Amino acid sequence: MQEAVLNKLTEDLGPKLKKVFRKSKRRVYLDVEPDNVLDVARHILGIDGVRFAIATGIDTPSGFEVLYHFDFDKDDMVVSVRVLANRENPTLPSVATISKAADWVEREMRELLGINFEGHPDMRRLLLPDDWPDGVYPLRRGKPWEGKVEKKI
Amino acid sequence: MGFLLKMLAKSPWVFHLSCGSCNNCDIEILDLLTPRFDVERFGALLVGSERHADALLVTGAMNRKSAKRLKTVYEQTAKPCLVIAFGACASGQGIFRDSYPMTVPLDEIIPVDVYIPGCPPKPEAMIAGIIKGLQKLKG
Amino acid sequence: MSIGHAVLLFLIFPGFLFTAVLGLFVSWVDRKVTARVQFRVGPPFYQGFADFFKLLGKETIMPTGASRLFFLGAPLMGLAAVTLASTILIAGMVWPNQSFAGDLIVVFCLLAMPSLAMIMGGAASKNAFASLGASREMKLVLSYELPLILAILVPVIQSGWRLRIGELVNYQVAHGSFAWSVSGAIALLVSILCLQGKLGLVPFDQAEAETEIMGGALIEYSGPPLAMFKLQKAMMLVAMPAFILAVLWGGLGNSISSFILGLAKYLIMIVLVTLIRNTNPRVRIDQVMKFFWGVVSVSGVLAVISAAVGF
Repeated sequence: MQEAVLNKLTEDLGPKLKKVFRKSKRRVYLDVEPDNVLDVARHILGIDGVRFAIATGIDTPSGFEVLYHFDFDKDDMVVSVRVLANRENPTLPSVATISKAADWVEREMRELLGINFEGHPDMRRLLLPDDWPDGVYPLRRGKPWEGKVEKKI
Repeated sequence: MGFLLKMLAKSPWVFHLSCGSCNNCDIEILDLLTPRFDVERFGALLVGSERHADALLVTGAMNRKSAKRLKTVYEQTAKPCLVIAFGACASGQGIFRDSYPMTVPLDEIIPVDVYIPGCPPKPEAMIAGIIKGLQKLKG
Repeated sequence: MSIGHAVLLFLIFPGFLFTAVLGLFVSWVDRKVTARVQFRVGPPFYQGFADFFKLLGKETIMPTGASRLFFLGAPLMGLAAVTLASTILIAGMVWPNQSFAGDLIVVFCLLAMPSLAMIMGGAASKNAFASLGASREMKLVLSYELPLILAILVPVIQSGWRLRIGELVNYQVAHGSFAWSVSGAIALLVSILCLQGKLGLVPFDQAEAETEIMGGALIEYSGPPLAMFKLQKAMMLVAMPAFILAVLWGGLGNSISSFILGLAKYLIMIVLVTLIRNTNPRVRIDQVMKFFWGVVSVSGVLAVISAAVGF
């Protein structure tokens, strides 16, 4: 059942996918280029019974890796769309323009990792306190906040 | 004054404040109100407002946003009051000591009377800690 | 009755000291029954007294900008009102021939004062949660006062339009309590529901909802003023059931057996209130108003009509 869904997905999306990695029966990773993210996401969200679950971001040696996880509840599998942003100028198109569920998690990635999402309707600060200095992104590798933030409140 | 302190030890009303905890310690506090470890035998009640409280039960490692509010809540509590640092995070920030949103540990912000270590502490440890705190209050 | 005698009645028996001690003890009964229903052990018997004395030893914090007169005067007003009401009521039950004309109406108005004291205290606290609690208490008072009046009209009608508590008690000693008639039974049920609302117990404790609005109308109180509010709540546990007992359910009578029966009825009311408290969730304030203005008031009107017709 999951093979059928996966095969149909690869068929429809075709050249937009850089790589398809099937980690286990229920877990699939699709690698895409930043330009194709919106098309792929729009297609997947158009399938009946699919919802956007969450997005995650991590700082890896090859750049900032952002994963968008889509839940195929009826077929009991999770499809993750992986996209890489380069380190000097991390910019990605914003999935919040097509799905309201991605709104807050992209704000969180913006303030904790420094990834710019183009087209996001509302880029305010979400989790960090108001007196946190701009430009210090805590979840990047190393300890970027050292020396810039005072310990005492 | 000795009589009033004795009465304070017989009826400690507890206000629970979480300063960036993972909520595990908070769930264990609810444990104490269940029939197995009934803490109402000692007269302890969970109250809704810090002005009614005799004991401040603080959980969580101090993150920047809630540590400011914690100081205000402590000043609003009617003295004499007991401050209980609950769990490894409140006692000394635990494994989150060098993390980015952390400020100083709890006992550098407000004076602490009882430390209850554990992640989360066992209910028996919690009751022992509360009793030790009440005995300290009686003098 | 000399001034000294009246002061003794007001302060010792059946006034302040008696009602306070009995009220704090009955509040322990309530907590113990709650604990046993939940399979717990519960607090020791002196818990009410320990709570009261502990609160006397804490500091009083006045919020800045709060009106000093109303903030500190509200608990005093409530305490004085419930003491006076309890004095008149219990004296009316124990010495029925000495009650004065119209004291039923006086006691009824006095028993509305503790809720007004809470509204006053909450509104004077300069806190958003406190005004929310005060407005909810206002809506509660609007809900349960009407059915209570209707319930009290039933014995007044049945006894031939007498408004003295002493005369109502004597009538019940002579003819049997009002609760045995159809209209009296409905009136008793209605008044027990209003009792739950007046005492501020779940499902009608919206004014002081702990987990919802952080203490509600009493959020800014601490120390001795809070002790007086808690004492007032405990004394209402004596005054309100005594009111229902005297007016609707036979009073204390004039023999040992009827005295013990009266005490048993009082305990039954307390345990009933506690059991209702433990088996129901807190409802929304508009559901409360719909309940009291709907089912309960209609039952009260039916009770009055059947009393007027003669049942």
